[in-house]
Amino acid sequence: MELFGYFLDALSPFNLMLALGGVVLGTVIGALPGLSAAMAVAVLVPFTFTMAPAAGLIALGAIYTGAIYGGAFAAILVNTPGTPSSIATTFDGYPMARRGDGGLAITLATIASVVGGLVGAISLLLLAPPLAKVALAFGPSEYFWLAVFGLTLISALSVGNTLKGLIGACLGLLMSMVGVAVVGGDVRYTLGSQIFLGGIDYIAALIGLYCVPVIIDLVATRDPHLKVAGGTDGIRFREALDICWRQKLNVARSSVIGTVIGILPGAGGSIAGLVSYSEARRASPRAAHFGKGEPDGVIATEAANNATVGGGFIPTLVLGIPGTPPDAIILGALLVQGIKIGPTLFSSEGHIVYTFIYGLLIATILMLPAGLLIGRYAYKSVIAFPKSLLVPTVAFLTVIGSFAVHSNVQDTQVMLGVGIIAWFINRYGFSPSPIVLGLVLGSIAEQGFVQTYLIGNATGNLFGMFFGRPLSIAIIAAALITLLYPFLADYRARKRGAAAMTEVATSATSRAGALDDTHPLPESGPALARGHDWGAVALAAVFLLLAGLAFWGAQGMSAMGSVFPKTISLLLAVLSIALIVLGLMGRNRPVPTETTAGPVSNIRRAALVAIFTVWAWLLPVVGFIVTSFVAFLAMAVVGEHNRVPVRTWLVRGLVAIATVAVFWWLMADVLLLRMPRGMLM
Amino acid sequence: MNIKLTLVAGTALALLTALPVSAQSVEDFPAKPMTYIIPFNAGGESDVSARYQQSVWKEVTGQDVVIQYQPGAGGAQAWSQLNQIEGDGYTIMGINLPHTVLQPMEGSVGYVTDDLTPVHYFHYTPNAIFVQKDSEFKTLEDLVAYAKKNPGMVTFAGSGANSANNLGHAKFDDLAGITTTYVPFSGTGPSMTAVLGGQTTGGFNYATSGVNVGEDLKMLAVASDERLPAFPDVPTFKELGYDMAGGAYRGVAVPDSTPEELRKRISDIVQQINENPTFKKKMESGGFVLTDITYDKMGAFMKKMKAEYAAGAKALNIGDN
Repeated sequence: MELFGYFLDALSPFNLMLALGGVVLGTVIGALPGLSAAMAVAVLVPFTFTMAPAAGLIALGAIYTGAIYGGAFAAILVNTPGTPSSIATTFDGYPMARRGDGGLAITLATIASVVGGLVGAISLLLLAPPLAKVALAFGPSEYFWLAVFGLTLISALSVGNTLKGLIGACLGLLMSMVGVAVVGGDVRYTLGSQIFLGGIDYIAALIGLYCVPVIIDLVATRDPHLKVAGGTDGIRFREALDICWRQKLNVARSSVIGTVIGILPGAGGSIAGLVSYSEARRASPRAAHFGKGEPDGVIATEAANNATVGGGFIPTLVLGIPGTPPDAIILGALLVQGIKIGPTLFSSEGHIVYTFIYGLLIATILMLPAGLLIGRYAYKSVIAFPKSLLVPTVAFLTVIGSFAVHSNVQDTQVMLGVGIIAWFINRYGFSPSPIVLGLVLGSIAEQGFVQTYLIGNATGNLFGMFFGRPLSIAIIAAALITLLYPFLADYRARKRGAAAMTEVATSATSRAGALDDTHPLPESGPALARGHDWGAVALAAVFLLLAGLAFWGAQGMSAMGSVFPKTISLLLAVLSIALIVLGLMGRNRPVPTETTAGPVSNIRRAALVAIFTVWAWLLPVVGFIVTSFVAFLAMAVVGEHNRVPVRTWLVRGLVAIATVAVFWWLMADVLLLRMPRGMLM
Repeated sequence: MNIKLTLVAGTALALLTALPVSAQSVEDFPAKPMTYIIPFNAGGESDVSARYQQSVWKEVTGQDVVIQYQPGAGGAQAWSQLNQIEGDGYTIMGINLPHTVLQPMEGSVGYVTDDLTPVHYFHYTPNAIFVQKDSEFKTLEDLVAYAKKNPGMVTFAGSGANSANNLGHAKFDDLAGITTTYVPFSGTGPSMTAVLGGQTTGGFNYATSGVNVGEDLKMLAVASDERLPAFPDVPTFKELGYDMAGGAYRGVAVPDSTPEELRKRISDIVQQINENPTFKKKMESGGFVLTDITYDKMGAFMKKMKAEYAAGAKALNIGDN
């Protein structure tokens, strides 16, 4: 009965207003790549000093859950995860949007997020103390194997192209080692430059890898950014509900995975999304369609990442150990309020904790109407925007996002550099997702590995530390299944005489097998022919050189700091040589040339890249407002394929001014970031 | 005579009017909200202690303070840019020891220790040894005795390599004549989790972490000069015969272009906050140890700390390659 009283407390108009406001603000901030949940939460902390502790917590929790959900918008509409949690949402969300199912994808993400969020929050409400023990059962070796498990997803993401996927992962792993090492303390691969001292920020890299190629290709043709199937530009709520209902097992499994991984400090939403994605794919009879616009992939990721919110609060509130960065900030806010965290919190401060948890539940439910409304608006405006406004807006968002992470222009420059390289190598079949996986999971894998090694070595039980712990064995088994499943399924399918999964996945022309056809199938493309793939061979030679340099660069490092760089660079070398040999034998699968309706303009691409580069380098010198405004207009010109009357240009000029001004205000005055003013402003 | 008098009076008047002007502007400081940059992510000890300061900042200065984060490279990213900020006193930055002494030794990090201008080091978080609640080691002596018999077998989880935890661990090994293994984690949270979960024998962490975790962990010794008010039952290393006290110090720094009077004024503000009873109580119950290292004591303090860290760096082989 006491609990019900807390529920009524949470329902006070003020608390409801905070929950709704928090969710809306969080969704908007989460939808903007680079502006993170942690940032939004940190900014609001001082305001909560003057509120009652429970009310302050509700506001913070609502923003947090909204931001994790909002990340899906950018992932679906512009192929860029708004927060790292929605990396796996891009795999299927963006292909869905490309073929005209963007509205459906957003609604699916919304429903899945709400359900996942509820599962996480209810676990927090009912099972927090026992579940907190899960966090403690995970030691360094489990983290290492969990990261490896995440990496095995590469085999699924690069079916028919495994070698290139593995090379991409090695590149990402090498990128993750740049900067000051946590273990060993070595300064690695900074090329003596301060820019790389803090490492390659993975949010900035993420934006570059996913978003810059989209922008570069956007200006090249007249094709609209997203297709709109006739009459289906709405949110398609009923349809989405049907799909989610059919996928209830997937939703439930992903929510549970998300909750459990949320409990692990240092794992977080990105891993939760990736693991549940790969589990959903493994369990699905439509596995071959994952990565090509399969609704189940979106559902899995989004259910899992919102479940991490409730999950993450479990160790935070029970053990005093924050599960995620926003949790750490909220923990700090509680301390300043004079609330003692720890096992006794639930009994001694029950009125605060339970009111907060109910507030979080209410905020999660409010996400449904709020999200559908914002989603509908976001989808319509992305469709309705002419290219000459969409291109500069998205480019502007990448600049803002990469800058905002550390209030550092150098991150923007790294973002752009990484993005241009990503566009280039993508043309030769090296897709960005394996690189991202390597980058995101690299430091977790490395730290787990070295810590396990140190402990195992000290206690004389090296083998047992890596392979002897029950939880480790379970994770290794799951990783092996994920890794081998495609081959196993192929074998079984061949035996039955049906089309093998790899064939379906690479060609996607055959609809053989027991695939139910009720929700839209991916577009079909031409089958890949085998043949010489000279571009990839040349790139592999470059990577081989890179591997040599990386190995050589690891010579001066401490023993602890050099294990991983040496291993990965050797692996990269071996894989590159394999690709070169296969290439010379003519046994590669070249990437098919792009299939677009209109002519492709490389001049526009080059102009865009040039504007982008000048912008990123003049930003600190000239100032944020001036460069952004000029670059915005210049990109609008590059993105425009038609003759447009002067009046339209005037309107676009106003749009440019308004966009730059609004974001300046949001960043400088709301999020309190340090903005580069330069010579002008 | 008259002329002389006029001159004297004039000079006196000029002095009288001139002095208050400069004194006044410093006296008026701050006349608008200040910005306080934390070179780390939100949620760590640097952030929490700054938040405590923020909660009484207005009471002391009459103005608000806005906290911004500029994390990266263990703080080096922000510190290397500190002197580019305008020295009008309105932007200040958190500064940490041993970070700002050790980082420049490790390699080129964009600044050297003496580039930075700390005006007040207001607290430190003492190192402490933690074990699980039901660990077989009831006292520090139990642990040392076991470590002596089993060299290398005892593992300590700590936050980061070449950190205050790491330095403290090396010094303790040296003082106790034992060899134990330090396992670096990516922060206080993950390393405390490892200790709680029994992944390592114990932890070399900050006493502040013990406050959050509560009774699941046992603190065997704390590296402060006197016992902490938050843990009256935990002995200091000194009591047990190991001459070590210290941990991570946190302070406030200003750009080097900041005029002398403003440096003093900001140091005074931080000192007044340190003397605020509410602030003091919150910090001490959180396991922080307040220090009154004001601007005038900074030279001597830094000299002492640099010598101490140089010895520690040698033990950790920092700056060899």
